[in-house]
Amino acid sequence: MDIKMNKDTAELLSIISGIVEEEPELLNARENEIYLRLSETGFEDAALALAERKFSLIGLFCAEAFEKKSGFTLFYVFKQAGQAPALVLVREAEKEKEVPSVAGTFPSASWFEREIRDGFGLDFAGALDNRRLFLHECYPEGFHPLLKTFKNGPIRPSEFPRKEYRFRQVKGEGVYQIPVGPVHAGIIEPGHFRFSVIGEPIFSLEIRLFYKHRGIEKLAEGKSPSECVALAEAVSGDESMANATGFCMAVEQVCGIKVPERAERLRAIMLELERVYSLLGDLAGMAVDVGFSLVASPFLILREEAFRQNEKLTGSRFLRGITIPGGLKKDIPDSLLNDLPAFLEKFSRAFETAFERAMSSSSLIDRFATTGVIKKELVSPLNLTGPLARASGCPADTRLDRPYGAYKDFAPELSVRKIGDVFSRFEVKANEIRASADLILRLAEKLPQGPIFAESTGYAGYAGHNLREANSPGATGYSLALVEAPRGQNLHWVYMKNGIVDRYKVRTASFCNWQVIEHAVLGNIVPDFPLINKSLNLSYAGTDL
Amino acid sequence: MNTSFLLFALLNPLFALLAAPLYMALIRKVKAYAQGRKGPRLFQVYYDLRKLMKKEAVYSPTSSWVMRFTPYLNLSTLLVCSLFVPLVFVPEPAGGLGNIIVFLYLLALERFFTALGGLDAGSAFGGMGSSRSMSLAAVIEPTMVVAFAALAFVLKSLNLHHMFALTAGTVLPISPTLVLVSISLFIILIVETGRLPVDNPATHLELTMINEAMILEQTGKNLALLELAHALKQFLLMGILINTILPVGLSTEIDAGKIAVSAILFLLKAGLLAIIIGLFESALAKMRLFRLPAFYVMAFFFSALTILIEVFA
Repeated sequence: MDIKMNKDTAELLSIISGIVEEEPELLNARENEIYLRLSETGFEDAALALAERKFSLIGLFCAEAFEKKSGFTLFYVFKQAGQAPALVLVREAEKEKEVPSVAGTFPSASWFEREIRDGFGLDFAGALDNRRLFLHECYPEGFHPLLKTFKNGPIRPSEFPRKEYRFRQVKGEGVYQIPVGPVHAGIIEPGHFRFSVIGEPIFSLEIRLFYKHRGIEKLAEGKSPSECVALAEAVSGDESMANATGFCMAVEQVCGIKVPERAERLRAIMLELERVYSLLGDLAGMAVDVGFSLVASPFLILREEAFRQNEKLTGSRFLRGITIPGGLKKDIPDSLLNDLPAFLEKFSRAFETAFERAMSSSSLIDRFATTGVIKKELVSPLNLTGPLARASGCPADTRLDRPYGAYKDFAPELSVRKIGDVFSRFEVKANEIRASADLILRLAEKLPQGPIFAESTGYAGYAGHNLREANSPGATGYSLALVEAPRGQNLHWVYMKNGIVDRYKVRTASFCNWQVIEHAVLGNIVPDFPLINKSLNLSYAGTDL
Repeated sequence: MNTSFLLFALLNPLFALLAAPLYMALIRKVKAYAQGRKGPRLFQVYYDLRKLMKKEAVYSPTSSWVMRFTPYLNLSTLLVCSLFVPLVFVPEPAGGLGNIIVFLYLLALERFFTALGGLDAGSAFGGMGSSRSMSLAAVIEPTMVVAFAALAFVLKSLNLHHMFALTAGTVLPISPTLVLVSISLFIILIVETGRLPVDNPATHLELTMINEAMILEQTGKNLALLELAHALKQFLLMGILINTILPVGLSTEIDAGKIAVSAILFLLKAGLLAIIIGLFESALAKMRLFRLPAFYVMAFFFSALTILIEVFA
């Protein structure tokens, strides 16, 4: 196979060659990703050296029967903050043999390893945590839904758990536990929070999610890429556009599709609209959680305006059903796009008034400041991304570090705060709304005319367009796409066989970001927890695929 | 016992019971308007109570008689309290009724049983709410004692009936120091009824609740009784504040016309106060739990100042 390398990926290869004694086996390389296979000892040396070089483990996933192998293949995705290329170390695994865990070196691996353990039945030697993750104890022993031998279908879990899920025990005089959820007093998604408190101050928190597993990754297997877009959109409601784009980007890279410029620009406009409405919900939610609905309501009104704008442009309030590998399903007429500047001007004025109102309230600032601090030291080990990482002094944004689509020509303004408390996150999110509004204006200006769908694609199946290659055999290959969703960096990895999706892995920002909440609440008091939780606004659905 | 008192004992609790829920609704309405919403109609609160009355009560298997008993006790305690606060006319003095010390103890009894009821269901939130409520009570109760002492100093009586007989008939407060006491009474009203910035009555966040957490496990008829008791408590505290600061129209005679005027005037004044409470709630974020004593200290300060003025002036 002819593998093209550019400067960045060649550099990564030379780093690894410098660390390990053997010659790494180069499996594949694209513009911003390189796949290397190492021996077991080589892998361990490389992992340690990468940790020293401040690489984060941004993803770890498994595929069965990858390429011509019959066993399991593990993909460890490493990336340095602020750098574009992703280094993927590939490791082979067998069912009966334990895989050495890397969670001691990369704490973000812990949940990934538990996820693989549930999905494929692989065990990790020396793992920090061997409890189940997404398959709760009511699922039968030996049930691993991502195995190819498992045919997708309804599964009836037992009514009561078969085994106890042991929470961390904190003992001592005056320490008691508060179990919260998974059913809450409000209409929100399910999650269980186990607090250990001494009076009001929180001593320890342990979260348990994954109460509504949907099997999205399994559902994607054997579907055509265009069918899978709907699944990507269902990963998390207010990240629909980001996830659809991420999935499509991965497919386009596999098939070598060049998306027309107009489609790239329109996609970016919609991605930014999504960021605007999503972050507005966060700002409003933070005000609601301190009981300040007077501040919250203008943000909620603006959010509704943004939803209506979405509907006007695409026919969907959540920007669903328009993205497709190769471009867009339908064009947005210029007459509608021409209204955007006027809408954004009105929007920005109302937004500034609302923000002023929030900032002029000392009682609101008193609640936000110093609450729920996330230390910068946690960002890389836990692979934190998005506004919460930027509010903790980490200037990373996928749109800038690893620009995709129209972001190659249009860079958003970066907003960074150092302290990492709720107030910093409030400010960063507000600044990101401003930056997005500004970016939409720039993107909509002098929008190029032309097609919105690629002429040739490497897969068959979307009937809306007459594809020249519709009947040709589809592409085979795999690729990684990173997109900056409103909550942070989402990872999409697609492995296609003859134009059909064989393995689709999504890792949303929430999957990694959730774990920081256990650190952010320490030393805070119980009644401040909902505020800290809302300031992070993590997606339950995006974590529980 | 005389006719004046019998009429009062009949009229005052009935008036309070019927009118009290309306002001819960009015405050909600004001808050809704402040947020740019319409909010539920005013009478919705009565429909909700009627709906709850029809529903069956569900009890946690760990609960005891306390949980079943608390709603009845609370409502009857508050009904007794309503005999202490003349709302539409001040009757002739009768026995110990109107004594503020008894009044304070009745409120403490209600608080005590609400906290017990919160613990009884065995849920984590009830216990948390009770624990918070009790620790805050340790601060607010002395404050209330001082505030009512200040009221007693200014109006030269320990009996609310006597006090309001004194203020009735005047348009403005009889002493400027009453304005200071009123500030304390307003804060006590906010604290005792669990409103912002102390507690958020509209929240769904179990972990932040104080008052709501204690009644979280109550259902059906029991919940309706507790909500009615809560509304009654708010209405009575509003009544004390109104008769202190703006007693205009409060009747001291038994005269159908005067009582009617007095009642209508009272409803209007209470409406005004409800609007003020609604706006006050809208303008503030909920305070941090551990900062709340600072809010109570304001009430303590104004009451103590009043006493100092009354003693040395």
